[in-house]
Amino acid sequence: MTETYRSRFRTLVDGSDAPPEADHHIFIGPQHPWAEEPAHFIIHLKGERVVEADIRIGFNLRGIEKAMEARTWRQNTMLVPRACGICSAVHQNVYVRVVDRLAGIEDQISERARLIRMFSLEAERVHSHILWYGILAHDAGFDTMLHISWRDREMIMDIVEDFSGNRVNPALMLPGGVKRDITPEKIKRARPLLKELTKKVEYHKKVFTEEASIRNRLEDVGILTKEDAKKTTPNGPTGRGSGLPFDMRKSFPYELYDKIDWNLVCYNEGDILATTLVRIDETLESLQMCNQILDRLDSTQGELLVRVKPRIPEGSYMARGEAPRGEDIHYGIANGTDKPERYKIRAPSLGNIDATLKRMDGEYIADMPVILRSYDPCFSCTNRVMIINEKTGEKMILHQDEFAKRAIKAKRYNRPFF
Amino acid sequence: MSEGLKELEGILNVTLPENLIEEVIKVEEGHFDVHSSATNAYNLMKTLREDAGIYHLTTISGIEKEGEFQVCYHIQHRIEEEFREVPINFIVTKIDKKNPKTPSMVDFFVAADYYEREVYDFFGIYFENHPFLQRLILPEKWPDDVRPLRKEYTWEQLKEITMKIAKED
Repeated sequence: MTETYRSRFRTLVDGSDAPPEADHHIFIGPQHPWAEEPAHFIIHLKGERVVEADIRIGFNLRGIEKAMEARTWRQNTMLVPRACGICSAVHQNVYVRVVDRLAGIEDQISERARLIRMFSLEAERVHSHILWYGILAHDAGFDTMLHISWRDREMIMDIVEDFSGNRVNPALMLPGGVKRDITPEKIKRARPLLKELTKKVEYHKKVFTEEASIRNRLEDVGILTKEDAKKTTPNGPTGRGSGLPFDMRKSFPYELYDKIDWNLVCYNEGDILATTLVRIDETLESLQMCNQILDRLDSTQGELLVRVKPRIPEGSYMARGEAPRGEDIHYGIANGTDKPERYKIRAPSLGNIDATLKRMDGEYIADMPVILRSYDPCFSCTNRVMIINEKTGEKMILHQDEFAKRAIKAKRYNRPFF
Repeated sequence: MSEGLKELEGILNVTLPENLIEEVIKVEEGHFDVHSSATNAYNLMKTLREDAGIYHLTTISGIEKEGEFQVCYHIQHRIEEEFREVPINFIVTKIDKKNPKTPSMVDFFVAADYYEREVYDFFGIYFENHPFLQRLILPEKWPDDVRPLRKEYTWEQLKEITMKIAKED
């Protein structure tokens, strides 16, 4: 089995293990205009066809798992969303569910808090998917679509900013509930935007399915059959495009996903168009879920935050969540103190790389950007922040320590941040 | 036979060899912890893979306990007709701290290849019969005897090593 389906990630530094029939070798990355994330792809070619592709990773190890062992459970709530730049809410959600479970307060969290968490997750899925298919169109040489989709993406970004105060890192969740409430005025402001965005996404779907110039670039390219998918274990939209109907929200429901009405999206073709349509259909599903959640928020009342003691009793728990890119898994072990004994995070992209490299075998070199983009590679963030004063327009760039100092001062002496 | 084991066997529709299992804990509805020692783990995983048909490995975590290392295989039993998954934490216990060795599961899961290399990288646990047990994530210049996720290394020590490597370039 390992002979025919050997895992990639195995290139030697001197290149002595290249397949003998290959006559050209192309290297992409770690720094490359195509890629936002530092990864090194090695593509072995015979003529214009790919013989085999390989990858080397590890250029941006930030040591979050080790850092978490040195911080308290409460501090880690704000460190964990930094694991990913785009899907920060889902990391935080999985983390708080681990802590809720270990602290034994899982049943006390109110329905309203759970609904707000779910809204944050679904809004994130919408903006992540729109971002992704915009870039996919850009890689396929269809820049108009990039501009259209990113323009429309601003609507959901505005809603997220209105609800949480931040565009891509909402950080609404805390162990025991949520930080902020979503008030009726905010819901009222969000509804027309959601309605407008649904129309726009329906139009995007029409473009991807009917416009020949983009459809031909994606159809029958990089096919991953169901058999191959079972062996290379992809997750999320990559798997669902190849006929593996597994979505954590359905297959192992968390929060209130089993209480609201939604459909699982799954395609059997296995090509890049199928993965794209999975994501567009999911965007539409998520938008209608957002509307449902807002409807239910109108009629639900409840405590937003349950108190969690800083010391978490001994135990271990594994929680999983459906990130926009796939299955996000956290495994936490508590030892009775206020710091975790061990905390393991696996973000979805790592599990999808093997399947993506399998897609490339026998494809044209010209299709590489589209196939490489298909698993939605995820990039890391920076450690500084720019602050803009809303009234005066004044800007300043602060590093982490300085930012923390100012924030503590502002809180302690109850004076403005500036 | 414990309650958890009986329920797990019912879901998987196989009989698991009881002498290979240390214990089965039911964490919640449809979520199990299976403990097995390093000597028995390979045969037990063989039953799970070949008889029960579990093909999805999500990830592998290395764990450092007081007197031993543990390796946790997070596997999912997928029931396609019901769109349902049963997560199982397959924990390999009793890995000697002085000479950490455990059987590799590459024969059953392709994905085990790189996850095991990640654990080898961070904990220095040696996976027997792994065909390509080399460094995956840490840089080439990283000292071979430093395993960063072990408790003996603090954040400051690791920072010092990282800065030293960065300055050499």
